[in-house]
Amino acid sequence: MTTVGLALVKEVAVAAHAPRFLYLRWPFGHALGEPGNVAQQRTVLHDMLSMATSAQRPGLVIQLPYRWRRETYPPVGDWNTPSQVVVSALGGMKETT
Amino acid sequence: MEKGEATKLRTHHKPLMPSDEEARTQLNKPGRTLAGRLYEFFGRWITLPGTRGETVSAHDGPARTMAGRLNELFARWISGTELGATVGHWASRTIALPQLRRLVGADIPWAPLGKPISECSVVLVSTGGVHLHSDRPFNLNSDSTFRVIPKNAQAGDLAISHQAYDRTDALKDINLVFPIERLRELEAERVIGRLAEDHYGFGLSGSAAQLMPSIKEVARRISQSHVDLALLVPA
Repeated sequence: MTTVGLALVKEVAVAAHAPRFLYLRWPFGHALGEPGNVAQQRTVLHDMLSMATSAQRPGLVIQLPYRWRRETYPPVGDWNTPSQVVVSALGGMKETT
Repeated sequence: MEKGEATKLRTHHKPLMPSDEEARTQLNKPGRTLAGRLYEFFGRWITLPGTRGETVSAHDGPARTMAGRLNELFARWISGTELGATVGHWASRTIALPQLRRLVGADIPWAPLGKPISECSVVLVSTGGVHLHSDRPFNLNSDSTFRVIPKNAQAGDLAISHQAYDRTDALKDINLVFPIERLRELEAERVIGRLAEDHYGFGLSGSAAQLMPSIKEVARRISQSHVDLALLVPA
């Protein structure tokens, strides 16, 4: 079974040795974002699904670039295409390793 | 509490937040002994060991399990301020890292998805203290058990029993810690193949070793239900 986790504390995600983690610099109790912000919550879920399909090796902890309360979230266009945020973060990791 | 009593209490108090008196009545029913009264007095401020942690529902959303006033203030500070967040991150690292280093092996498990998302069965696992309101609340100080939450649970059927983060926003929108409504939408839109029948909630726990039997049991149940993808959401 494939797993993807969200994390709010990066070091704990790294130490957990889980297959796939997305790390957000957001306050505790707000892993999916702000109350009522459906587009934001769907963006995070799209990123999770993208991580499930696109990560090529175990143990990756990717930081999502969204700033707390300072972003606008356009609707997810195509759910079958992995999110650009995750794809470029994974691409960056390939270069550094 | 009988339904009639609940209605009576609510008509006497502010509709959104339970009053101190209501919270006290909800927390423990100490009787008239001195020990009971002391427990009641201190329990107002700190979540004492053995607190029953009963949930209080005063609106259509999820119910809140009452923690001590100081615990609530601390949680608000952790979730709502820069300094609080720094302390919260430090506490998480201090508590979790040594335990994880002891428990976790060098190998990282790896199970790539064998099919497109639109054919996958998806399960949600949250550590935000979410459970059915009708179920036994988590012990607020530490609890290594888990709760099953059916896929069709509505926000008003749920409760949050956790004292290490400010639940105010999650009580307004349960999807912040348990995005079940968003996943039901994705199932209806055929983005995901199927939403699993049962989802899983964990509470606050200070001991990773004590959590292991519950984690293994949840993993066993999830494997048995032919789930392809598990989404893990913290608080």
